Amino acid sequence: MSNVLSPSRIAAGWLAGLAGLTLLFATGCATDSGGSSKASGQPGPPAKDRLLWSYRNTVLNMRAGRYDQAKAELDETLARLGGIYGPDKAAASARRLFSEESKKTFIGEPYERVMAYYYRGILYWMDGEPDNARACFRTGQLIDSDTENKTYAGDYVLLDYLDGLASVKLAADGADALTRAQSHTRATPLPPYAPKANVLCFIEYGNGPTKHATGEYREQLRFREGYPGARSALVRVAGQAWPAPPYDDLYFQASTRGGRVMDYILAGKAQFKGATDTIGNAAIVSGAALAITQQGRRNSGDEIGAGLMLFGLASKLVSAATTPAADTRCWDNLPGYLSFTALELPPGEHTLAVEFQNAAGSTLRVKTTTFTVTAGRDTVLFFSDR
Amino acid sequence: MNIENYRLNCSLVLAAGLLAGCATGVQNPSGVSVTEMRPDERGFVAGTGVESQDLVRVADKMSRGILGIPQVTRAQGTPRIVLDPVVNETRFPINKDIFLTRIRAQLNSQAAGKVLFLARDKMSALERERDLKRSGQVTTGSDPNVVEFKGADFFLTGKLSSLTTRTTKGVSDYVLYTFQLIDARTSDIIWEGFEEIKKQGLEDAAYR
Repeated sequence: MSNVLSPSRIAAGWLAGLAGLTLLFATGCATDSGGSSKASGQPGPPAKDRLLWSYRNTVLNMRAGRYDQAKAELDETLARLGGIYGPDKAAASARRLFSEESKKTFIGEPYERVMAYYYRGILYWMDGEPDNARACFRTGQLIDSDTENKTYAGDYVLLDYLDGLASVKLAADGADALTRAQSHTRATPLPPYAPKANVLCFIEYGNGPTKHATGEYREQLRFREGYPGARSALVRVAGQAWPAPPYDDLYFQASTRGGRVMDYILAGKAQFKGATDTIGNAAIVSGAALAITQQGRRNSGDEIGAGLMLFGLASKLVSAATTPAADTRCWDNLPGYLSFTALELPPGEHTLAVEFQNAAGSTLRVKTTTFTVTAGRDTVLFFSDR
Repeated sequence: MNIENYRLNCSLVLAAGLLAGCATGVQNPSGVSVTEMRPDERGFVAGTGVESQDLVRVADKMSRGILGIPQVTRAQGTPRIVLDPVVNETRFPINKDIFLTRIRAQLNSQAAGKVLFLARDKMSALERERDLKRSGQVTTGSDPNVVEFKGADFFLTGKLSSLTTRTTKGVSDYVLYTFQLIDARTSDIIWEGFEEIKKQGLEDAAYR
């Protein structure tokens, strides 16, 4: 029996072998990292998406007035956010050529992490802990400080404004924070602190930014502005009205962060994917040409041609396995704008209405609440147009 | 070229490549069993914020400091202390009263009798009980009309302050813990102790 095989038989054998190997490893790799709750029998989020679900649940709970549940979600979330330092296998895996960025444990982009601290700050203040609320606002501002263009570093208006207000409430000096907040405002001037204000209204409206990917291999993370909704609000109590303008714009915050370190990694992956694909194409075409032209000439040309084809095929497989796509998982029920108003009301029961208005000033929705002001304590209210 | 060797080499290269591509398995698929640790030990889950080992270290130092001051060691009678809430000026939301609770518990357990703490946080319950006694609704072993609630000799309070730096090289958090014992009669700060802890960390590039 001859030991020399024809190039076509070699290629066919290799193709079958490759298909088998790919199937074998694909099956072996299909480990479910999912987190179905076996105890409850309910499907839960995959472990890598747990924070994303917590984020979304937080907003739903806040809007439904289930503040205790929001607190529970956020406490777990913040504990995880505070412990992300050091080596992380899931994150390291996301940096590899053959693993998607979305494999990493989701913690969100800075504007999403900031919102987790912002909501927890509101809840701390509700519980009569303005110093812990201030701690959350400070951490939020710190998270926003890692921007590419330092003009946009730590530029949340409300986080600095509320930091200062909490200090004033704690009999400390909030002037520096107010000055910083004022320097961040682009259009809306901030009201001076009213130390006697005892009703704090945290108001959010509009639709938050979403993520999408662009680029040949979807390797570039981009942000899209939320669809139009409410653009301002008016607070009415006992015949008086207070404006609640948009102090912070989450789309602005998301889109001014600049490039991430991960963007360079994804760009490298995309470059590798493109290069291996091009090399694969070139090798297959030249190998095929060589194999066809040299067939039957009793020299090694046809074998080299077959080898080139196989190399090209392997290169194409490597290219196909390279995953430079950006992670577009997104906290998609965030508001577009954040606002705040502080009122001074006498102790007793009050009814307050918040009118949410569009860009033209037409009222889109009115939310009303009745609450009791207790002497010596701040009453913290939360309103959303959704 | 020998076809069989060529095939073998190619198989090995391909298998290695595919294995490398698959190296994204789940971490600790069986979980990590519960590990009991000492509270003053740095665990494998750590951040740059205030953690149990910091609490233990700070509370230990403050307790020793309080027991060493002459106003306590040479006091005529047993000094009585009231805890005043700690102020948190850091960027870390924490249960700040846990520091005072641990200092009190440590002083009560290790230096019983040298100082006494007044349960001002239970005043409403104590006043209700006294009123029940005064109205004769419950029994009493002494005259309920005599005021026996003790006044404080000292106030113990504290403050947590921090400095944070964030650069591309990571986050650095310095936390200064200061505690004071204040004479309730004169407002003199008769003792002040401090502890400072600095931590640094850098998250994976995938999160930056």
